[in-house]
This record gives sequence, structure tokens and C-alpha cells, in this order.
Amino acid sequence: MEPLQRIECQWCGAQSPTGATACAACGAQLDVKNLVSDSGWREAPRLRDMSEVRFGSSTCQVEGEIVPVAEITLGGNDAVFFEHHVMLWKDHSVALGVLPLQGAVKRIFSGMPFVVSLASGQGRIAFSRDATGELVVLPLHPGMELDVREHAFLLCSHSVEYSYTRVQGLKNILFGGQGMFMDRFVTRGQPGMLILHGYGNVFERKLAAGESILVEPGGFLYKDSTVTMDVETQKLTTGFFGGVGMSLARMTGPGRLGIQSMYHHHRSE
Amino acid sequence: MSGPTTSSPQAARQYNCPWCGHASDASSMSCPRCGAPVDVTKAVTHSGWAKLPPIRDMTRIQFGDSTLQIEGKYVPVADFKLGAGAGIYFTHHLLLWRDAQVNIGVMSMKGGWKRLFAGLPLVMTQATGPGRVAFSKDEPGELIVVPLDPGQSLDVREHVFMVATNTIGYDWFQTGIWFSTYAEKSQETHYPIGMFMDRFTATAGPGLVLLHGSGNVFERHLADGESILIKPTSLLFKDPTVRMNLHIESPGGAKTFWGRSYLRYLWLRVHGPGRVAVQSNYPMVEDPDRNLAGVSAGSTQFTW
Repeated sequence: MEPLQRIECQWCGAQSPTGATACAACGAQLDVKNLVSDSGWREAPRLRDMSEVRFGSSTCQVEGEIVPVAEITLGGNDAVFFEHHVMLWKDHSVALGVLPLQGAVKRIFSGMPFVVSLASGQGRIAFSRDATGELVVLPLHPGMELDVREHAFLLCSHSVEYSYTRVQGLKNILFGGQGMFMDRFVTRGQPGMLILHGYGNVFERKLAAGESILVEPGGFLYKDSTVTMDVETQKLTTGFFGGVGMSLARMTGPGRLGIQSMYHHHRSE
Repeated sequence: MSGPTTSSPQAARQYNCPWCGHASDASSMSCPRCGAPVDVTKAVTHSGWAKLPPIRDMTRIQFGDSTLQIEGKYVPVADFKLGAGAGIYFTHHLLLWRDAQVNIGVMSMKGGWKRLFAGLPLVMTQATGPGRVAFSKDEPGELIVVPLDPGQSLDVREHVFMVATNTIGYDWFQTGIWFSTYAEKSQETHYPIGMFMDRFTATAGPGLVLLHGSGNVFERHLADGESILIKPTSLLFKDPTVRMNLHIESPGGAKTFWGRSYLRYLWLRVHGPGRVAVQSNYPMVEDPDRNLAGVSAGSTQFTW
């Protein structure tokens, strides 16, 4: 009897039939080797123009390469949530609602308008960000917890639990003292789909337990919740004016860590 | 420029990089000194501008016992693996990530007060190996690796410089390119290419300078006496032998009743001999459009 042959995707681990050129779960090209630098950073798979991925009863097609657009065809009872300003266009039949959030009032008082919209129903809806970057398609298996930089997620399927925390220790150092929010995505019994947007190019690395690396805070994009993040400030003194403080975030494994090569200033920050 | 050099079939084909002149084995995919792809023919436009080939993703460049790898396509990352004792200095806010073992320190720079007033970074940071450290600029574009031979200098416009090896001396000079306009009750001075320009010189040994160009980068060799007008903010770097002056051009037919031109275009005139490089995505030249009060020495004006 012939053994069942499958290709395992290097990016998300899903299996596709032999002969497939793109992973059905995340769109990564299977016929091209995923580039990994000498220092161990794996490039997020460059999605071919018009790549298609499936999740639940819906599909997502990624169009464009420099400022890509994620076009979702919602099927069945699927719904996706997203920050409202990333919506590009939609069919009239797609219903829009709002995701009820805890602590939303606090966020509004902190000066950041924050609305998470929910799109449901059958039809098409498309999303994009307003700068050069890459879409990172992260299919979520049951039992995963992912922490993502605030405002970096483009859309997420409704079955994924969404919450956010204020990262207290950083508030005096980063972003002019306003602090940073971290989005958290948790899957329990069901798989889900999370699509992030990284500015510039996105690289991922697996950190071993206890292995740490120092990353510029603006470059941090996402991490498994098992990776810890601590900010270290190094003073660079020039004598006369006391110099400048260089703050780097120490990321310690185990777990995955994703970075982006460009830091984009948001007006709301 | 390239081709087989010996008759022995075992000998490697010699390849001379048309960008930096380094001789290497043609079997590699890119020049080990400056990263330019080997199989790309030099693309020169009819007017003489050569497009600098973007460095291919994952290209490796050697210097001393250290390597530099360029990763990413739209906003590339310069990933340095520094050998023991090898050092580089860089603009501190461009650091993306580093190994915990890499030593970071400060390089003292003379003339601190003047730099502070000009808005230039006061701090030049240094990193010493062994270990890995990576840099990226927060803008889409290309990383340009310019190797310098001992004694060779390069003039770079402000805010373009990213990283240089320790063998390269850093200095800066006043550009001498300015114009002033009348403001409410005073005058304002404007510097189209900045008040200062960086000068990098390879001293005892060869070295590398890493720059960032926004959009695409084009290079041109100007002959002795040849000059061309470029948008001031598009300038990336030039040889020290290239002279510059401000040129103000006014189109015909755009004059007030009193015959004064109300439209003007600001140019930088660059004179050969030497190299000049420009970027295709450049910031707008700031000009409040008020009447001119004064211009820097050597400036020229022309009205059609």
C-alpha cells in the first residue's frame, strides 16, 4: 500500500498534497525555499500575488505586493473582526457590527479612539494598511496564545478570543510616555485565522528556553505568550548633555518571535 | 570588463564588479565586497544614469573576518556578524536587534555644539564584536554598500548614513548651500541639502560605508567640467572632487506686473569630475516662496 505523501509547510506546519505550489492554510509558496538568514531569522513567506487561503467556510485572497490587500469572501456563519480604519471596500451584504470589549472606555480616555468592528454575513470585504509592508498569515491551531503589537493585526476570525493588556513597565520609556498596549489572541478548542500586517519586511525566529535577544521596541511585531519581554535602557553618555538613552526590549524564549524592519508612527500613538 | 582570464579549464573565471571594481570569482551570485548581483548587466539610461542594482535578498558581503547579510525586499535589514574585536559605528536609532554579547559604546565627536544647533545627531554609537547586530531604516528603499579603498573619501548628505566600519574616519563639513527669505520681521535661512554634510575617509585600510536610498538609486560619472542640475533632496552621495552650488530657475511667463518672477525652482548644480548618486523618492524641497533676501556664494539664477 502506498504511504500517504504530503508536503509540510515550513511556516505554519499544515500539510498540503504533493504538487501543490502554495500552502492551503497560509499561502506560503511550497516550491520556493523559505529564506533563512545566517543569524537564524526566517523571512515571512512572500505571498504570491493572488494567493488564496482558506479558513472555516471562508477564503482570503491576497492581492498586491508592496501594499497588499486581503480580500475575504465570507461564507457560512463566519465572521472576522478588525480595527475599523483598515477596511478598504465591502459588498453591501456584509453586515458590520462592533465587538464588545472590556476596558474600552479606559482606552478612549487615554486618547486613543479604539473600535473593533465585526463583519459577518455572506459577501466580500477587503482590508489593507496605508504603508509598504507584508501580510503575515498566521493560522492558529487550538490551544495557542499569541501576543501582538498594538494596531498590528489586520483581521482575525471570530472564534479567536481577543483581549488586550497595557504593558505597564514600558510606559515611561516608549512612545513619549503613553505606554504600549499588547493585543492577545487565544484559541481554545477551535482553530482560527489571524492576519497581521508588518511594516517593511517581517522576520520570525524561534527562541530556545532561556535564549534571549535584544530588539528595538519599534521592531517588535508578535510573539508566543511564552516569550517574555523586558525593556533595558542603556545610557550613551557624551559628557556634556548626559547623552541619550537607548532602549531595547530583551525577548527571552521559549517561543516564536516576529519582527518588522520598519517602525511606522501612528497618529494615535 | 568581465571574462575568462586563463586558458586552464580548472581556473575560475575572473569577474570584475562594474560597481566597486573588486575582482572575484564569477561563480558566486554577488560581489563579495559590495553585494551587487553578478549576473546583472549594467543598466545605463540614454542620459548616462546607471541604476544601482538592488542587493538581492540574503546576499552576503565580506569585510575582514566579519560578514554582512542583507535581508528583506522592501525595507531591507543589514545583519552584521562581527568578528572578535571588529568594530562598526552607526546612527543609533537605526539599530533593529542585537545579541546580548555585542558591546555598544559611544564614539566621541568634535564640534558637538554646532551639531546640536544644526539638528544633527550628537551621538555616534559603536558596536564591537564578536556577535551579531542588525540595522534597518524606517523607510522603504535600498541599502547601498560603498566600499572605500585606503585614501578614498565619500561625501554623504545628512541623514543618509547608516553604518561604517571602524577603519573609516568620520568628519563633517559645512555645505555652503543656502538661501534666505524675508519672514514677518526678520529673515529665515534655508538649507536645501542641510547645513552639514558627512565625509567618510578610509585611512589605513579599506572599509565599508552603508547608506540608505529611498526608492531607487542611480549613479553617474561626471567628466571634468560637466555639470547637471539635480533636485537638492535627491542627492545621496558624491566624490569630494564634485563641486556644488545652488541654482534658482524661474519659468518664463510667470512674472508679476513689476517684472518679478513669482515662481522658482530650486536646484543643486553638481560639477564634475567625479561620481554623484541620487534617490528617486526624495522629500519636498522646503521653500516658503517668500522673496529672496540672499543666496550662498557661487549660487546662480536663471529666468526663462
